[in-house]
Amino acid sequence: MIRLENIQRRYASDEVETTALSDIDLHVAQGEFLAIMGPSGCGKSTLLNILGTVDRPSAGRYMFGDRDLARLDEAALARLRSETLGFVFQSFNLIDELTIQENVELGLAYRKDKSGDRRQRVAAAMDRVGISHRAKHYPHQLSGGQQQRAAIARAIVGDPSLILADEPTGNLDTENGAQVMNILESLNAEGATIIMVTHSPSHADAAQRRIDMLDGRIVASVARAI
Amino acid sequence: MNRFALLTFYRSLVRHKLYAALNIGGLAVGIAVFLVLGLYVRFETSWEHWLPNYGHVYLVETRDGDTTSGIPNQNSPIAFWSAVEKDLPGSVGSRLSSFNATVLQGGVGVSEKLGLVDADFPKLFEMPLVAGDFAGAFASPSNIVLTEHVARKYFGESAPIGKAMTVVFSGKQHAYRVAAVVKDLPKNTDIDSAMFARLTISEDKAADDYKSTHQWNYFNPQTYVRLPDDAARQRFADALPGIVARHAQSETIDNPGFSIKLSLQPIAAVHGEAAGERLAVATLGIVGVLTLLIAVVNYINLATARAGLRAREVAMRKVLGADRGTLARHYVGEAIATTAIAGFIGLVVAEIGLPLVNAAGGLALSIGYFGANGIVLPLVALVLIVGTVAGLYPAIMLARLPAAAVLASARSPGGGRAGTYVREALVVFQFAIAIAFIIGTIVLVGQTRHVRNADLGYHREGMMLVFSLGSQSLNNAQRDTLLHRFAAMPGITGATVGNNVPGGGTFTSETDVPIPGVQGKGPSIRFFETTPGFFDLMGAHLLAGRLFDTAHPADVNPNLDDKSGDGTKPYNAVINRTALASLHIPSPQAAIGRTFYGPNNPPRTIIGVIDDMRFDDPRVPIPPTLYDFQLRDPRQAVAILRYAGDPQTILDEARAVWRQEAPEVPFQAKTATQNLEAYYAHDDRSAKLFTIGAVLAVAIGCVGLWGLASFNTARRIKEIGIRKTLGASSADVVRLLVGQFLRPVLIANLFAWPLAFFAMRTWLAGFDDRIALSPLFFVAATVLAVAIAVLTVLAQSLRAARSTPAWALRHE
Repeated sequence: MIRLENIQRRYASDEVETTALSDIDLHVAQGEFLAIMGPSGCGKSTLLNILGTVDRPSAGRYMFGDRDLARLDEAALARLRSETLGFVFQSFNLIDELTIQENVELGLAYRKDKSGDRRQRVAAAMDRVGISHRAKHYPHQLSGGQQQRAAIARAIVGDPSLILADEPTGNLDTENGAQVMNILESLNAEGATIIMVTHSPSHADAAQRRIDMLDGRIVASVARAI
Repeated sequence: MNRFALLTFYRSLVRHKLYAALNIGGLAVGIAVFLVLGLYVRFETSWEHWLPNYGHVYLVETRDGDTTSGIPNQNSPIAFWSAVEKDLPGSVGSRLSSFNATVLQGGVGVSEKLGLVDADFPKLFEMPLVAGDFAGAFASPSNIVLTEHVARKYFGESAPIGKAMTVVFSGKQHAYRVAAVVKDLPKNTDIDSAMFARLTISEDKAADDYKSTHQWNYFNPQTYVRLPDDAARQRFADALPGIVARHAQSETIDNPGFSIKLSLQPIAAVHGEAAGERLAVATLGIVGVLTLLIAVVNYINLATARAGLRAREVAMRKVLGADRGTLARHYVGEAIATTAIAGFIGLVVAEIGLPLVNAAGGLALSIGYFGANGIVLPLVALVLIVGTVAGLYPAIMLARLPAAAVLASARSPGGGRAGTYVREALVVFQFAIAIAFIIGTIVLVGQTRHVRNADLGYHREGMMLVFSLGSQSLNNAQRDTLLHRFAAMPGITGATVGNNVPGGGTFTSETDVPIPGVQGKGPSIRFFETTPGFFDLMGAHLLAGRLFDTAHPADVNPNLDDKSGDGTKPYNAVINRTALASLHIPSPQAAIGRTFYGPNNPPRTIIGVIDDMRFDDPRVPIPPTLYDFQLRDPRQAVAILRYAGDPQTILDEARAVWRQEAPEVPFQAKTATQNLEAYYAHDDRSAKLFTIGAVLAVAIGCVGLWGLASFNTARRIKEIGIRKTLGASSADVVRLLVGQFLRPVLIANLFAWPLAFFAMRTWLAGFDDRIALSPLFFVAATVLAVAIAVLTVLAQSLRAARSTPAWALRHE
């Protein structure tokens, strides 16, 4: 499903050039659950951003299915994100001015196909993460775990084929973290491809494969023993 | 904008009330200023637009034979239209001669403005009819047309058509019958008559001046002509010199060399022809636009400054698949929605403020909502334009925020260095305009004060002018009695008669005075008639020689009383300072004893030189003037009374005396300062409107600066904590924060000073009597702007500077 070849990402400021990623080769199969681990600053989030097309590589090839993403313009990438990708962040990134229901519905707002069953899909997504009873609340009225479940609902409402999760449990206590992991695992079981950045070895164990990163490179790739 | 956009917009307004208030409030006031000044500009540029055919009606304007520059005379010779009727039969046009007429009602005279017109008048001025037959009214010379309020005044609610009316003008009673009543004329017209009757023309040389076609140098009427298209206008204009050549010289009795230039002016362009009026109107229009721009800049500055706070929202929308175009449209939509709210509030503010503006400016502006001049459609257009202009840059900036960087960063991005530069440049722009406005206000107020208080060469205070003394219904004996009784009134310290008085003369005359040894007919000198006591009463300053004295018989102009003579008997004259240069005399002393002759002039020997006395518009140069001395009352005499005490008491007493002596003639009197008012009113109004606009523009700029300062200070709290930890004092921090905003304000002076200098120099150049453009005005404006800017940002800077470093360091 995803093939990264020799991906580089460099940041240039006035005086120094920093290399965030180098020589990244990665293949992710359809339906796979991949965990990315590594110390802070090793390039995990940068890699996830490139995978999510909100950042572009400085060099290398990113094939998404049979599409070379380097050839797509900004609008096409935006369409790809709205139709194919779902994002979950450590800090939730819900919009303060919108209710939970509206935040979830926002996951459909930028899609070209304005199908009529929106309300049902939003309800189903909220049901799926157990947040329906908080539909009319605003983000600041919810606990962290509830907010993250709402963020997951927003990520899955469009039925994405790829879910990118950046430390989804990082800001949560153990119980809420476990709930979020359960949701991700069952989504994967239903066929979604998931790529998750995490600091937690036990949560990484939920994935079928784990890659370890250090200083912008992939240093190990470990498949879980089944 | 989709539903989410509207929702986030609405809830963001509710959540960030201060920001919303600053933004909407600034825009609303900007829009209100723009609307009010726009209404004023529309009023000033819509004169005569009430006439259905104003585009086809022209005023014939005149200039003296050899001048092409300056303001043309809006009156033309009475004989001109008669000549057109002979030379170009079928032309549609009409003269309009205005008279201060008297309507006699039960033996008491009431003053009304009467216009005498030709039969075609209704074809040019299609006045809305109330009753009767307006179109055919002037077929008979015994018909009169009344405006509605005059009809109601004399006939109440009863039907006025066919009723009789006695009107006195030019010293004779005229019996009229009311033929039509028309609606009262609107405010935006120069036609000030309230009654209209037929002008009867006479070819008799002995006829009154106003009706004699043998007078090309009698300039009472305005002449209007209706020309259906451009070709007709061109043909008519081309025919004018020929008409003058064929008629003017041969038909003018007492001035054989007489010649004038005639030209056509579209009737809608006649108003505001006077010097400086168009400039003033255009300036106020620009003030409106710039004030609105300052408000737009506020929006841009606050929106881009706050962009950092919205960065996460923008990034999230991008992650969810919004592309740049969608986001840019979204944020422009927000700007338009904000402007729409501001537009509505601005309209309310304009409605509330309009009575105040009308009171300050002596105006009657009003807002119409629907129809041809309705404000709704222009306001919608304005909201769309202003919203787009204000929202475009912030929208593009927001839409371009890099989503990955925003999501990865713990802090909100500040819009980058480029954004800071843009904001600083915009603050420079705002304050450049604001400082230029402050300088403009200082100069305008200074100049309008100056013309009211300047030494005019005479004492303007304590002077009463009784204009009705010149009524042709009075005889000389009555005038003498009235003047003696006025002089005997308590509080009166002097009384004389003249026909040139402060605020303009009732009779002006100019004569060419050839200079010995110099080719040509010589300079045109204004000719003033004075009577005993005139100079004393004015308080004129004598520069050389002596003033007129009844003890010197040679002082008295003998030609006026000498009907049998040839008008060339010698006499003594006094001239003013300006006349020295015109007559090539180097000093006041050198003028004494000089005698000037001319082909049609009596020899005049100069016995005295006085300093200039400004009776006319401060915009117009004081003409070189020659005074003669006569013992009888001059033509169209005005009684000039010197008084001490309350003018209203003097006025009441004078009216009582008048009622006893001449009840059939309406009493008309004003103080000199009231009579001069007409010259100052327009500039006063411009100055007041400008000041209102300028103050609000500066206020909007300050609101913006305050908002910007509060966001910037909030962003720098952590930095302040670090600086204080490193040993910075509160004073250091205040200097840092205030200095950040002082820099653009100081840079703004570089633009404001030259801008204001050229604008104000141009405006002042319209005045002959003007103040100097002092550097102090500029320095004062800068000091004021800096003080306002410092006060605006000081409170927040102090608060930030006094915070404890520990709190500041934790602040994010």
